[in-house]
Amino acid sequence: MKRKAFLIDTTRCTACRSCQVACKQWNKLDAEATVNRGSYENPPDLTPLLYNQIHFIEQEQGDDLRWLFINRRCMHCADAGCVKVCPSAGALYHTKEGLVAYNREKCIECHYCVSGCPFDVPRYDAKQKVTKCHACSDRVQNGLLPACAKACPTQALSFGDRDQLIAEAKAAGKKLYGENDLGGLGVLYVLDDEPGTYRLPKNPAIPASIFFWKDVVKPLGILGFWGAVGVAALHYVTIGPKKLDDADDQPRKGGE
Amino acid sequence: MTNTIDRFGTASRVLHWLVAISFLLLVLSGLGLYAHTFFGYFDLFGGPQQGIVVHKWAGIVFLIGSVLLFLSHAGEVCRFDADDRRWIARLGGYLSRNAEEIPQGKFNAGQKLFGIFAVIAALVMGATGLVIWDPTAYSRELTQASFLLHSIFFNLFMVGMIVHVYLATIGNPGTLEGMLYGQVRRSWAKKHAGKWFEKVAKN
Ligand code: HEM
Ligand code: HEM
Ligand code: SF4
Ligand code: SF4
Ligand code: SF4
Repeated sequence: MKRKAFLIDTTRCTACRSCQVACKQWNKLDAEATVNRGSYENPPDLTPLLYNQIHFIEQEQGDDLRWLFINRRCMHCADAGCVKVCPSAGALYHTKEGLVAYNREKCIECHYCVSGCPFDVPRYDAKQKVTKCHACSDRVQNGLLPACAKACPTQALSFGDRDQLIAEAKAAGKKLYGENDLGGLGVLYVLDDEPGTYRLPKNPAIPASIFFWKDVVKPLGILGFWGAVGVAALHYVTIGPKKLDDADDQPRKGGE
Repeated sequence: MTNTIDRFGTASRVLHWLVAISFLLLVLSGLGLYAHTFFGYFDLFGGPQQGIVVHKWAGIVFLIGSVLLFLSHAGEVCRFDADDRRWIARLGGYLSRNAEEIPQGKFNAGQKLFGIFAVIAALVMGATGLVIWDPTAYSRELTQASFLLHSIFFNLFMVGMIVHVYLATIGNPGTLEGMLYGQVRRSWAKKHAGKWFEKVAKN
């Protein structure tokens, strides 16, 4: 099956937050009380009850205010750090559309995926199980659009065949974020500024320590373990144990 | 005159086996997180969540036990002399069938190195284990580095443990008796710990 993806054109986003609300509605997530921090951004970050969030970038430029908006969510990485570290096979997985969904029954509450994700996306609910955007895998499998994309009135959020979305954006002369990073992100952005302005890493990658842990130390360790067993066995049958000289154990004199 | 001499008191034997049992529990409960292949090991504990709890508390026992075990041997383990250097240069004679034994103190140079490695590894695994106890408690960078270190020392420890168990059992017949019953045979002491034997035999 061909990979599906989101294309998020931040230049079209008006921060109406229909996407936030639609996601809450579809996924039956309760509203959360927040406090006024002097910004229209609300809530300020992804939470266990908020799978996508409009992040506000508010820059004062003299008397003017520069306002940028970006829809933050799981990036549905092809090379996904969360899937790499998850100890429970099938708790986090790629759907046949190449999107990263999860099965809460299989989640063992270890919270490893928090450390594996380069974008700090996974959150935990009151039951300590993983939550994040699952690309509405339930809707997509039934031929529906993800709820957020369906709700977006300005077409800032679109969803569809990944290659086609890329081709269309390129034909319109737009520069894309995430086309080739991490095996190609499942969320492509059209940005109005440098990625850093949007709190996105310029070159997203699996954290180096996570890479060494899972792709270097683990295979070397398995090799080392069986190597050591092999060497010990080989030593036993070739050179052999250090046998004792029983003569030394004869009682010298008298005894009991 | 008896055939055996005292090597380890009751307290130090209990301590050693406490450390060994907690280590075994740590390995069995840790492997399920280490690789998908071993996920089934969690069944031994009644499920992954329970396995993780066992791992955490066995870790505390192991950490404290390892430090005490080290302190109880620190006097013998941390001092290296010319004979120890010779022993290391010849790898303890383990690479030849008829190597002449270099007289050693209560522990040979290899055991001393293992004893020092074990306490360092236990401290590193304990410290990193406390960081990843709640993987969202500290900064992402610290947590990620702790996972890496915990894993590096886990793998080093497994290799060290295979060598330790091999040499303490079938590799050197008679050694295990000391840790099980507290006494070793005279022949064992003479062969493996010549200088210690001289000292003990005199008293
Ligand atoms: C010394 C005290 C130790 C503490 C406090 C400790 C604690 C932990 C914790 C909290 C985790 C993460 C589990 C979770 O919360 O989901 C973990 C993982 C793990 N621990 Fe330990 N641990 C200790 C020692 C050891 C030892 C001695 C071994 C084995 C030699 C070991 C092997 C592992 C393994 C294999 C993992 C899975 C991580 C990976 O995939 O590399 N731990 N430990
Ligand atoms: C089934 C597993 C084990 C067996 C059969 C075993 C056996 C032994 C024996 C027989 C000795 C006494 C050696 C002598 O008399 O010179 C010993 C010493 C020692 N053991 Fe173990 N042991 C095991 C597991 C462990 C574990 C898990 C640790 C720590 C992580 C450990 C740490 C030590 C230390 C530090 C000593 C002191 C001597 C030295 O530094 O080598 N052992 N062990
Ligand atoms: S918390 Fe759940 S989803 Fe995340 S890594 Fe652990 S088992 Fe996998
Ligand atoms: S953004 Fe994070 S949670 Fe989403 S697929 Fe990538 S690594 Fe996983
Ligand atoms: S795709 Fe579905 S789960 Fe993901 S943010 Fe949109 S509505 Fe929420």
